[in-house]
Amino acid sequence: MRAAGSPVYIYPAAHMHYGSHPFVYYLWYYLWIAPHVFQIAVMWVMVRRRLHRQFPLFFIYTVAEVFQAAALVSISARLGFGTTYQQVFAGFLAVSTAARFGVIIEILNHVLKRYPAVDSTGRSFIRLSTVVLLAGAVLLAVVMPQTNSDFLLRATYSLDRSVTILQCGLLIALFIFSRYFSLSWSSLDFGLALGLGVFASVELATSAVWLHLGKFGNTSVNLFSMGVYHCCVLIWLFYVLKPEKISQNVPEQIPNHDLEVWNQELQRLVRL
Amino acid sequence: MMTITSVVVLVAVFALLSMVVLAKRQTTSAKALENPSRHMRPVDVEAFRNLIDPAEEEFLRRNLQPTEFRRIQRKRLLAAAEYVSGAAHNAAVLLRLAEAARHSTQPATVQAAERLIADALRLRLYALHVVPRLYIAAALPGGSFRPTLAAEKYELIVRQVVMLGLQYPTQQVTTSL
Repeated sequence: MRAAGSPVYIYPAAHMHYGSHPFVYYLWYYLWIAPHVFQIAVMWVMVRRRLHRQFPLFFIYTVAEVFQAAALVSISARLGFGTTYQQVFAGFLAVSTAARFGVIIEILNHVLKRYPAVDSTGRSFIRLSTVVLLAGAVLLAVVMPQTNSDFLLRATYSLDRSVTILQCGLLIALFIFSRYFSLSWSSLDFGLALGLGVFASVELATSAVWLHLGKFGNTSVNLFSMGVYHCCVLIWLFYVLKPEKISQNVPEQIPNHDLEVWNQELQRLVRL
Repeated sequence: MMTITSVVVLVAVFALLSMVVLAKRQTTSAKALENPSRHMRPVDVEAFRNLIDPAEEEFLRRNLQPTEFRRIQRKRLLAAAEYVSGAAHNAAVLLRLAEAARHSTQPATVQAAERLIADALRLRLYALHVVPRLYIAAALPGGSFRPTLAAEKYELIVRQVVMLGLQYPTQQVTTSL
């Protein structure tokens, strides 16, 4: 999944290939910089609505992404896309990856906090899913041939693919668990998971394509991936801005005794 | 190499589609609130009691040829699994109602909704344990079904299924909304 939204490689290749198309030049830089500008907007809205207290890890992730983009843009402007860029990129990738796992755990905690009855079941299910996904990721890492001679990029992308499988799988597991138990999510939990899930699944596909091409930084794939990240940031911005919707059918009209009767009967059964 | 790449890309596309479908269902399931009674499944309580009655099972075992007993017992267990699934489905609908009631301005309603949610979730959890066992027992109908279940959970799911069949007040739900 690359340090999200940042190109692994790198404008000059695109410039050479699409030298006569300045549109690609501008599109490249737009897709690199614009998502992070929108992330500043996400941060601003989160602080204004005090959402950063509810979602501290997502807030930290967003801050880290903005910071990494600023750092990588300035490094590329001064030193190009050489070794320094790649080393810093790999460092940020590790931070980004850890933060994204944190966000998934944060979403899980938010969802389960509202449903103590299935809290332990949910955690067990996610733990089990993690073990299975980890086994799958390791198996794929062993089976998938490595074509790139650059150790840093090779290691980065092997790790990246494994992590993407884990994140993608964990989000699907979370959706399935919620679906079975008919758990309601807050709209922001839902939006964050959807954005992360879309990005992780697309990154899984692009990482496989990169490996198949035998070189990293294929311009079209990179642009596609950056475009998807842009969409994900817009999803997050949308859900951060969206007020929490309360059902139109809030049963203020439901006679209290009806609900109590259902509840008492169920409770009696549980205790019998 | 090409094959592995294709498989990974297909898995990724499948994952993406799964998430979109699950996310879509996540939003549409809230609509069940608009007319809950339409989403409830009828559970024939007496029939279910009969299906899981050990005495009835023993009676059939004694009075039928083994082949005939297995055939009938398989049908009985599959029907029982259907009932449990129906009750679990009804619990999900009640859960949606209670979920909406969480936003009530009346603390008592909110409290009652929280309890209903917890109970409905437990029922779905028990159903998750019981339904596969019923299907396994249906696949091997010669043995006794009861010992395959933890007795406590078995009794609980039986009672919960019976109660949901008896108590889910379709009319009351309709009239109260």
